[in-house]
Amino acid sequence: MKRMKFSGVSFILHTFMILVIIVCLFPVLWMCVISIKTVGERVSGFAALTVLHPTLSNFGRLFELIPIWSNLYNSLFTTILGTLTTLFFCALAGFAFAKYRFPGRNALFYFVIATMMISAEAGAIPLFIIMRRLHLINSLWSLIIPRIATAVGIFYLRQYILDVPDEMIEASRIDGCSDFGIFWRIVVPIIKPALASWASITAIVRWNDFFWPLLFLNKNDKYTLMVSVSMLPVSDGLATPWSVILAGTTMVIIPSILFYLGMQLFQRSGSLAGAVKG
Amino acid sequence: MFKTLKKYRIPYLFISPFFVLFLVFQLIPIIWTTFISFTEWKGLGSPVWVGLDNYRLMTQDYMVADAFWNTLLYWIAGIIGILLFALMIALCLNSSRLKFHKFFKTASFLPYVCASVAMGLIFGMLFDENAGLINEIIITFGGDRVPWLTSSAFSKIPVIILFNWRITPWFTIIILSGLLNISREYYEAATVDGANIVQQFFYITVPLLRNIMFFCMLTITVDTWKMFNESYILPGPGSSNTSLFQLIYQSAFKTFKLGYASALSVILILILLVISIVQFAIRRRQGEV
Repeated sequence: MKRMKFSGVSFILHTFMILVIIVCLFPVLWMCVISIKTVGERVSGFAALTVLHPTLSNFGRLFELIPIWSNLYNSLFTTILGTLTTLFFCALAGFAFAKYRFPGRNALFYFVIATMMISAEAGAIPLFIIMRRLHLINSLWSLIIPRIATAVGIFYLRQYILDVPDEMIEASRIDGCSDFGIFWRIVVPIIKPALASWASITAIVRWNDFFWPLLFLNKNDKYTLMVSVSMLPVSDGLATPWSVILAGTTMVIIPSILFYLGMQLFQRSGSLAGAVKG
Repeated sequence: MFKTLKKYRIPYLFISPFFVLFLVFQLIPIIWTTFISFTEWKGLGSPVWVGLDNYRLMTQDYMVADAFWNTLLYWIAGIIGILLFALMIALCLNSSRLKFHKFFKTASFLPYVCASVAMGLIFGMLFDENAGLINEIIITFGGDRVPWLTSSAFSKIPVIILFNWRITPWFTIIILSGLLNISREYYEAATVDGANIVQQFFYITVPLLRNIMFFCMLTITVDTWKMFNESYILPGPGSSNTSLFQLIYQSAFKTFKLGYASALSVILILILLVISIVQFAIRRRQGEV
């Protein structure tokens, strides 16, 4: 009798989770299906779910509508450079907050945390003017520089650096290692798992970034892929076929899914779950 | 002062990038925006001081009222929907009875990986009045076509669904990490004492999860009040589903009313400030009880 009851609970549990997974995956799978349909095929209602003549022509059409190669380069440049710089500077600040004692340390750290409640978006108008004065409008650096050190990143990496044993740091200091040397040769190698999981989150966020590129970039060939894709519905007159639009979204979504799954394989399970400790 | 700086120059140097960037790209813009909000300015020439005119104008503008109520709705729907589903999914993922644990965890995180703008285009098609799959399903079950994105009554719903769909996995992971930190011993002890699952949930899980839930609520608050992508990519008729931040963007960069848009930004900052102070105050009182 008791066994019956338990299997009932686990039945509900699995049914619920399967429903969740369907809701999570369906829009993405549906997108992939439509993106390989010919323009003439029906894309409405349930008819959308069957593919009679799979084709890659929609992707070909994309190359005619938007400057894909330069957009892709822009997206990759900001994602990669943005992620690397933010990792470096957040880890450096996290290291200082975790392992040094200096006047005002706690107050400054609480200040960093408090800034999370203010969004940079609130100052978007002057920020645009500042970027124009710095001649960074239409420059990819406008997307990288403001977020070189973020509050969340510092908070997250500090949590991990706290766990680095003080003895190791002291020992290397006695051996004559410089402060930056300790950071680079001792701390960074130890927190590599945390850096990897933070890097994958940051890279995904940067790749998906939309508002800032929309604001700071205003030429077709300067756009990131995300901005170009968002304009697909109006880029072929007003009548871009849906299968072409969804080919565009496939092209930005599938790489980030593959990247995420790849990172999952390389990481030990649960390292993402530790993303926010305490 | 100078001596302290010299003695501790290395840690100060290491944390300085954040503070310099915060000053230049956040603090100065926010102070500057407050100044612009008292002026009329088209971006060229010099701003004309108009005092509180922008704020007065705002109270009579129906678009501001729309944007405010929409964003308030997005916020409430976000807090309730996201926390509820994230908690339920996290509890399932944390259950020892769940098989294929790794698969479920990985797959349920995927929406967060997908770009909101790209998903917005997809949701726009799913919710299309004539060709969308959602209406097709409703008709199959005997309902009528719903004008999701073409009527002001319904146009907020796709935005809410898109936002909650995409952002829930992030909070699932955060809540799950909180659940993993709760020692199994508590539950074992409670089981020995004869507490059932429901009692265990309310007397062990809920109290120990309070900090995490509070953190999630603050984050959702900031995220919803600065929502832009979702309502931008799924526009309804007029300002029926415009978010406050989207209205700021439109007034500033489409119609070039920089003073007016800045006044709206100041209001946005004040709203966020008030909400976070209230949330901290409530939490403090709860902590004392």
